[in-house]
Amino acid sequence: MNENELFEFADFDETKSEHIAAPRYSYWGSVWKTFFRDRFTVFVSILLLFLICFAMIQPMISGYDPLVAPNVNNPSMRLQAPSAQYIFGTDNVGNSVFDAVWAGTRNSIIVSFVCTFINMVIGIAVGAVWGFSKRLDRIMIEVYNVLSNIPYLLLAMILQYILGAGFKPLIITMCCTDWIFVAYFIRTQVMIIRDREYNLASKCLGTSTGTMITKNILPYLISVIMTYISRTIPSYISAEVFLSYMGLGLGAKNASLGKLISQYTSYMNSYPHMFWIPVFILALISISLYIVGQKLSDAADPRTHM
Amino acid sequence: MSNTNKEVLLSVKHVDIAFNNEGKKFRAVKDANFDIYKGETFALVGESGSGKTTIGRAILRINECDKGEIVFKGKRISGKISKEEDTNVIRSIQMIFQDPAASLNERATIEYCISEGLYNFHLYKDEADRITKVDQALTSVGLLPEHKSRYPHEFSGGQRQRVGIARAMIMEPELIVADEPISALDVSIRAQVLNLMNKFKEEKGLTYLFIAHDLSVVRFIADRIAVIHHGRIVEIAESEELFRYPLHPYTISLLSAVPMPDPQIEKKKELVVYDELKRDLSGPKPVLQEIRPGHFIFANDREMAEYEAKLQVMEKEHEALGE
Repeated sequence: MNENELFEFADFDETKSEHIAAPRYSYWGSVWKTFFRDRFTVFVSILLLFLICFAMIQPMISGYDPLVAPNVNNPSMRLQAPSAQYIFGTDNVGNSVFDAVWAGTRNSIIVSFVCTFINMVIGIAVGAVWGFSKRLDRIMIEVYNVLSNIPYLLLAMILQYILGAGFKPLIITMCCTDWIFVAYFIRTQVMIIRDREYNLASKCLGTSTGTMITKNILPYLISVIMTYISRTIPSYISAEVFLSYMGLGLGAKNASLGKLISQYTSYMNSYPHMFWIPVFILALISISLYIVGQKLSDAADPRTHM
Repeated sequence: MSNTNKEVLLSVKHVDIAFNNEGKKFRAVKDANFDIYKGETFALVGESGSGKTTIGRAILRINECDKGEIVFKGKRISGKISKEEDTNVIRSIQMIFQDPAASLNERATIEYCISEGLYNFHLYKDEADRITKVDQALTSVGLLPEHKSRYPHEFSGGQRQRVGIARAMIMEPELIVADEPISALDVSIRAQVLNLMNKFKEEKGLTYLFIAHDLSVVRFIADRIAVIHHGRIVEIAESEELFRYPLHPYTISLLSAVPMPDPQIEKKKELVVYDELKRDLSGPKPVLQEIRPGHFIFANDREMAEYEAKLQVMEKEHEALGE
């Protein structure tokens, strides 16, 4: 046997070295995988989902209306202790505290979600353009200075006098100046990454500002926006509670956690459960919203996907 | 050798670029003046902060010129130009960036990164045509069509730089501004990227403006070299001419900094440190003058005489060596 028979040339394929063996990466797939990796997060998410669903469905079944009190003339029905029929007992007009609390929770959640949504949409849209345009920045900074210095409580009171109480006036009150804070936050974030090299590269390829915002800037901001939302939703629940407590919120026609807490404060010593139950529900929802939002924004950061 | 018979693709004429810093003007580029001929690789060499990237970005219309103008194929492209011409410039002049990790959008797939320019000017017939173009671009830089659905962070530095080249090449440009395209890369893959750039130059008749801080790399890729110091171009010559007869003290200092792969030479080598303050700058204001055909130097008449004498001595030495 000579050399030619013993040895043969092996093929050399240059493209083999370029192959990537790692499984395909998908952004949202990795976000969910990271999010559900933590058992505590899963537990809190389920709890939050249950609380929200229950708050949405229960008032429909009970049909609770704060202006209707069929048992108001029956002294034995007033201020009952918790029992099988009235799980949280009854209040000073003989209505079920259980029904009142869930109706209030529902309204508080609706108000905070709607306000967050409106403020985020306006704020992100304005902030993204604001951060890009140097000419707009000069004007918008002045707008920001004016809007952000309006005393919030004063504005709420004046608007309530003009518009009256109810859902719409409360949402208008909470949205008319708050979007500017979101916009300012987004503007700063956009400015940080606006001049990075990959945006310069896009500019060299002739990409328009609109495409730059949707393809280059906002995908980078998902994580910080999530963090912001996770802080905003509980803060609007608190704001609604606070305004209702001050008598500026949803008005007499609508149940609200804030109004309940303010009503029940006078029974804090005699019937403490009436005060603590709505406070506890409020805390439970705020905290679980905050935890879920925080974990979601962590999961949305691709650095945690490794 | 004269350059008169060559076609000028881009000329930078008396360009000044200044940045405003709290009311104070900082002149990053001072009276830059050079031509780039079609089909050549023109290198711009200087230390960090010398203004070389600024000139590159002015050509791409990212930085504005304070004075002077930049002319591309006979048309002015600096300052305000029509939208149509802007589109034309973007398509004809592309850039390769220094840091391949920073210059790709981390949240977009390779397919999007490469098609970005196609999308912007709708340079494809239909979806299938776009995919074909992306596949061709990927294959031409030695990557695989299957990489389309991957994200930039999954690639190595060299692969990412090749994605950056593919992204520029898909626009079918005439001039590429390569801003230190290999300085962020591993030494082992620098040659790969340089060879790729040379391949495109031969195949498509591309012209490069190659920005670098390192003369050793430039020698192999550039046809002509301009040396820039503190925003001022001090010497322009053809590569071999510059390496054989470096005249300006700053060029000499840059050349002395190139490491030689020989410990004996390195041991004896004396580094020349360029210090403008120690130089005799008396006499009239210096300008860029032609000392030999194609060899320009920044000097006044007194300095010119000194350089001339020095050059003649060097030329005699080379003749004696039989070159």
